Amino acid sequence: MDVRFVQAGASFEGRVAVHPSTLSLSERRIGIIGLNGSGKTTFARMINGLVQPSEGLVTVDGLDTASDGDAVRGKVGFIFQNPQNQIILPILREDIELGLRSRRLARSEVQARVDGVLGRFGIAHLADRRVHELSGGELQLAALASVLVTEPALVILDEPTNQLDLRNRRLVQETIDRLEEHVLVISHDLELIETFDRVLLFHEGRILVDGPPDDAIGRYREIAAC
Amino acid sequence: MLNSLYVEGDSRLHRLPAGPKLLLVLLVSLAVFLTRSPPVLGAGAIAALGLYASTGIGARAGWLRLRPVLLTIAVVALATVLLGSVEEGIVALLRLTTLMLVAAAVTATTTVGAFIDVVSRAARPLERLGLVRADDIGLAVGLVIRFVPEVLSRYDVLKQSHRARGLRLRPTTVLVPLMIQTLKAADEIAAAIDARGIRAHKQPTENQERPT
Repeated sequence: MDVRFVQAGASFEGRVAVHPSTLSLSERRIGIIGLNGSGKTTFARMINGLVQPSEGLVTVDGLDTASDGDAVRGKVGFIFQNPQNQIILPILREDIELGLRSRRLARSEVQARVDGVLGRFGIAHLADRRVHELSGGELQLAALASVLVTEPALVILDEPTNQLDLRNRRLVQETIDRLEEHVLVISHDLELIETFDRVLLFHEGRILVDGPPDDAIGRYREIAAC
Repeated sequence: MLNSLYVEGDSRLHRLPAGPKLLLVLLVSLAVFLTRSPPVLGAGAIAALGLYASTGIGARAGWLRLRPVLLTIAVVALATVLLGSVEEGIVALLRLTTLMLVAAAVTATTTVGAFIDVVSRAARPLERLGLVRADDIGLAVGLVIRFVPEVLSRYDVLKQSHRARGLRLRPTTVLVPLMIQTLKAADEIAAAIDARGIRAHKQPTENQERPT
């Protein structure tokens, strides 16, 4: 998995959300940290084409996120900050199936894939439950299952432990640690990303530190203390 | 917030596939306009009530769910009485109530996914003619059904917020935020549909954030 930013930046109504930057992301586990409004989510959304660059180019395995959006989203799954916004249908199994609908697979294959992904996250018992009855941790796993059923190579998680109690937080962390796919996690939960391969620290729309977790986390603590 | 009109159960209507159930709604909607006889329409309404009760929804939940629609039907019937006659008002009341009960029974026993499947299948011939995207039609119908309980939940939350702050419910302070919240939720769902590639056959241009 190779994500490239080539002088890519994003602005909204004259306000720069992400300053143009050039970098390549290929590590298996990448963290993004920074204060609120520092451009983290916009940067991550640029990777799967939910936000198009207002200048420059973003590619995923050579595919342009602006012109090959569908193909890019087939490779890059995105889990929103609030997993409730991710889940479209009220019953978990139906919602996960929805992700496969456009592929027009045989019914038996859809069933097998859905059962497989539910089993993978240990939530097979929740298959026929209503989504609004699930706990925060279960909801996060459900959102993860709904994305991973389409077999993306990279999964982006936007603050996956936000508003979770300690038990659910641990459950989500263990799940992320076990993921075989490449992951990119935006988080204020520094413990979650401290063992990652690479961490980007965003500040005022710029990448201030790009390196090992200790460097980025240390600098982030300094900024947050000001 | 994400709720469902579907009621879990194992009634005969639950076991019936979605296609025949939608056909039933279609036939009933035609049948109620074939007669103007209040006794016949009354018998139809009672049968529809029996069908609704057979879903196992329970009297209280069943009543709460239909109350807003019943209120609208009552207003329409009253207007018909005022503009026409008492008999015409009764006929309108019975027709609309029968339709509402049958439709409510079908939505209570059919999952959104089943609706999407059957509507997509039904639209497939139009797709072959190049007129529509069948999956989009199915998804659109599914989303409408999905949003009904969500709008009602949001209304309840707004009502409770008014009570908590000691404010009176006014159309301007309820409807405007309700509309804004619903549109915002629709935007979020549209973004989720794009992010998950659910309409992967089409470039996600409509809902994509476009920086300047």
